[in-house]
Amino acid sequence: MHIPDGFLSPQTYLPAAAIAVGAWGWAARGLRTTLDETQVPRLAMTTALAYGLGLVMLPLPGGTSGHALGIALLALLFGLRTAFLAYSGVLLLQALLFGAGGLTALPVNALAMGLAGSATAILAFKLLRPLNESLAVALAAWLAVMVSAALIALVLGIQPLIAQRPDGAPLFFPFGIEITLPALLIPHALIGLGEAALTLAVWRYAKARKWLP
Amino acid sequence: MASVTSRQTLLLYLAVLPAPTFIHDPAWLGAGLALAIALAGTGRWRLLKKSLLAILAFNLTASLGVVIVGLWRGALDTGWLLTANLRVLLMAYLGFWCVARVNLLKALQAWPTATLVAALALGQARAFERLIRDFRLAFASRTPCRPRLGDRRHHAAAQAMALLDKAQAQSTEVALAMRSRGAFER
Repeated sequence: MHIPDGFLSPQTYLPAAAIAVGAWGWAARGLRTTLDETQVPRLAMTTALAYGLGLVMLPLPGGTSGHALGIALLALLFGLRTAFLAYSGVLLLQALLFGAGGLTALPVNALAMGLAGSATAILAFKLLRPLNESLAVALAAWLAVMVSAALIALVLGIQPLIAQRPDGAPLFFPFGIEITLPALLIPHALIGLGEAALTLAVWRYAKARKWLP
Repeated sequence: MASVTSRQTLLLYLAVLPAPTFIHDPAWLGAGLALAIALAGTGRWRLLKKSLLAILAFNLTASLGVVIVGLWRGALDTGWLLTANLRVLLMAYLGFWCVARVNLLKALQAWPTATLVAALALGQARAFERLIRDFRLAFASRTPCRPRLGDRRHHAAAQAMALLDKAQAQSTEVALAMRSRGAFER
């Protein structure tokens, strides 16, 4: 669901960049004290998995893409701050090495997928864990995908409203929310099922190796 | 010296990148693209091909949507089609041009946390790509006939477990190497 460079107006990406810089600063604070030589390999492995998942993209109508995220994995295993930072690194590498996403779109992509996705996964997991742990992991992963997709759809969908030519024609992304929301949410409802299964599998792997607190 | 150059190139790229989003005239965007291509040196056409391939799927779907809506309404917005596609191509081209000239790890040397994350992610991403290729070749060599669905499932499961274990082992080595260089000192 990466937004590529050139589809977001400066009125969108500049404020998003200001928010993201603050969020990255907050997330980086204390990172080097929490990461040690046992956590780092696990984080690197999970980050690489998220990177690989994000590269298998399906173009969706309207100029964005569908793919698994791996963000719930990062969030459930390493917490909100580390997951946000690691996923931002994933997005940066994908943008620079493959042109998937872009640097002007990075703040929006990182906030929607890295921060909101992580927060959703952690919140859903905490709420549902008392009922059933496996169900909580799977639902957390599915919800993280759906919330991220909804946010991306909203940001794209408001572009025609906030950046127009004098004749009212859009300057950046051309389609409104009535198109972007279904175009992103319907495919991601299915992608989220795959993401949920994968997250659960890696969660069990991590549990079997006693990574979890 | 090399690290200073990489950092300067990265900062220059970051400064220039937003410019196309403030330009809405396709002639200026085309001129910017032509200038970038002219300045890119010997690899210019390879970079152009890479940029075109990177944006093709997404721009094609967006452009097709605009064409269909335009034809439906009887007013095709060719201005948007030209401007948006030139803008996205220019920005992708600038990105690949920057990456071709910059050593990312050297460029990030001034920011230790960013270097740490980038070193780990880059190393792991390359390790994953190599491992997946090796597994695919091994599976192909073991299955001369068309594999059944069950074979594929067993292969995928075995590959996933091996990938996770090997990736962890490799990143443990990276972490130890980084520790020996003081990366975890507080």
